[in-house]
Order: sequence, then structure tokens, then C-alpha cells
Amino acid sequence: MSKSIPLLDKIGEEGRVWNDLREEYGVENPDPPWRVTLESTCEALNEGACVLPSLARRDEEDDLVDELYSHIPHPERQLLALAHSMIIRGIMTEEDLAQHLKVVEKRLNAA
Amino acid sequence: MSNSDDHDHDHNAAPMVEEISDFEVLEVAVRELCIEKGIFTQDDHNQWTEYMHTLGPLPAGRLVAKAWLDDDYKQLCIDDPVKASLAVGVDWVNSMPSKFGTPSDYCNPRILVDEPKVKHVVVCTLCSCYPRPILGQSPEWYRTPNYRRRMVRWPRQVLSEFGLQLPEDVEIRVADSNQKTRYVVMPTRPEGTDGWSEDQLAEIVTRDCLIGVAMPRADRKVDDKRHVHKAIHPYGH
Repeated sequence: MSKSIPLLDKIGEEGRVWNDLREEYGVENPDPPWRVTLESTCEALNEGACVLPSLARRDEEDDLVDELYSHIPHPERQLLALAHSMIIRGIMTEEDLAQHLKVVEKRLNAA
Repeated sequence: MSNSDDHDHDHNAAPMVEEISDFEVLEVAVRELCIEKGIFTQDDHNQWTEYMHTLGPLPAGRLVAKAWLDDDYKQLCIDDPVKASLAVGVDWVNSMPSKFGTPSDYCNPRILVDEPKVKHVVVCTLCSCYPRPILGQSPEWYRTPNYRRRMVRWPRQVLSEFGLQLPEDVEIRVADSNQKTRYVVMPTRPEGTDGWSEDQLAEIVTRDCLIGVAMPRADRKVDDKRHVHKAIHPYGH
């Protein structure tokens, strides 16, 4: 059984998923704008760097979704599973991520 | 910096999501931590993202390549972009080359010519106006509030997030698109391309170069095999 990560649980509980946002704003695009950059991150982690091979990531994503993120739609669940895999593999720590989330949130909301 | 913001947005723009979600923040944070830790570079990531949107040279890439080789054609690009576009198979006025939008959307293209000390970049602050007939569909990031709001206020910062670090003495001109006027950037020809053919040159003028968030390079083609550097501190190896 995978152990939950409080930081990611909080985002899963409080974050607004794309389906809700596009319904509220009347947007037709089925994918959030960050979908393609998420895919690029997954590809870049796989190829050359081999930090997180695609097959291993996808296997873990299936397990993590079954155990922890089944209530979250795609691609939000893919993103949570990726961050989860990176933390349990030691590629980044939960503290690293928590700290950087604050920096990014402040920056993106500055405008 | 100067902004070309004297424009009319009085048309029915597609609705946009006007807030930044926690998931969008998480995606950016994960990506930036990977870059910070040396797992991959921003350029590696850009190449993947661009690859997913476009394959093969774009008509606008061909236009830039022709202009680099022919000063008369370059002047035509500046004076009459509609006529210059015909040479790369794009008719802005009499047809709908991309089979979407309306011809009236495309009647006033403008080519912004970079100089060694002047860098142009294109945005649409209010919606997502984009030179689609010559550049294809706009990338998702071009449509985000993050890009649209911040580029006009902090262009140097936003460009650096694309991996484009410009010296302080380079002036940045941000062009704000509108219903009629669509901008394409003509970047400066990079070093290492002497003697290249038009086909060779067209291959290095990528979509991001034409929006202005990247500069062409002799070693970077539109449809190169994706390359990722070895991690500095690989995990589990």
C-alpha cells in the first residue's frame, strides 16, 4: 500500500481540476494548458537522463491512482502521481516541493 | 521596452480560464525543480514541448529563411507581408489556408525584424490572437494568463523562463496582437550558417523563434531527435 504524501493530498483535495474550470469559464479545450508541458517533463525524465523510466513511472502511476488518487481526474492524477513517484524515489523531497510551490504560486499570481 | 498596445479587441474572443490552479502551479514547480537539480535543461524541455506541437518547417520559417538570403525579399516582408507570404504558399486575404477562422482575421500580418540590440516578442494580452495561417495553432502556454499578463510587464523575466537570457543592453519590444494585426518575429540569422541553403535555414527557424521566445541556432532543427543531457546526479545509477 502506498503511503500518502500530505502536501499532494492537500493539492488533490483543494486544487480546482480542469473540468470544473473549463465548465465555469465556458472553455472548450478538453486539456488544461499545462498538459503538454507535463508530458514533456515525463519524456525528459525518461530519455537520456533515465531518472524515471516511462514504464516504471506508468506502473507506479497505475498503483498510486488505484490506492490514493482514484477520485482525481486525468491529467491531474498523472501530475500528482509523477510528483509522488519523484518524492518516494528521492528525486526531490516534500520540503523541496513545498518551498518551491510557494515561490511559483507567488510568481504566477504576481501579475 | 515598448508595447504595441494600440489595438482593438472588439471581437468575440474564445473564452479563457482566468485563474491559476494549484495543479498548474504544481506542474511548474515539478518542472523547475528538475531543471534546478540538473536532471534536464529548460532547452531540453522546450524541445519536447515544441515537438509535440509542430513537426517539420513552418511556412513562416520558410519566409524567414528566404529573407535571410535575399535582401529584396526581406524588404518585401517588411513593406508588404501579405505579398511576401504568397511566396511561401500562404494567402492571408483570399483564402483560408488553415481551414479555420475567417479571412478577415488575417488581413494585416506584420513581420517584426530583430536586430542585434532589438528583440521582438509576440503576445496577445486579452485573448489569444495568433498568426495561424503561417504559424499553425498557438501553443497552450501562449493562451495562459501566466504568459499573457506577465510578458508585457516583465518580458525579460518571462523570456528567461524560456531559457532565453538577453543582455541588459538588448531592448525588448513586446507586440500585442489583435483581431486584424498578427505578428511574426524574424529573428537574426545565427552564426555558423554561412553558405546554407534555404531548406537548411528553414529547418532551424522553429515556432518559438517566430513567436520570439527563442533564438535560432545552427545546431537546433525543428524536427531534431529529442536530446536530453545526462543527469548530473542520476538517481539509482
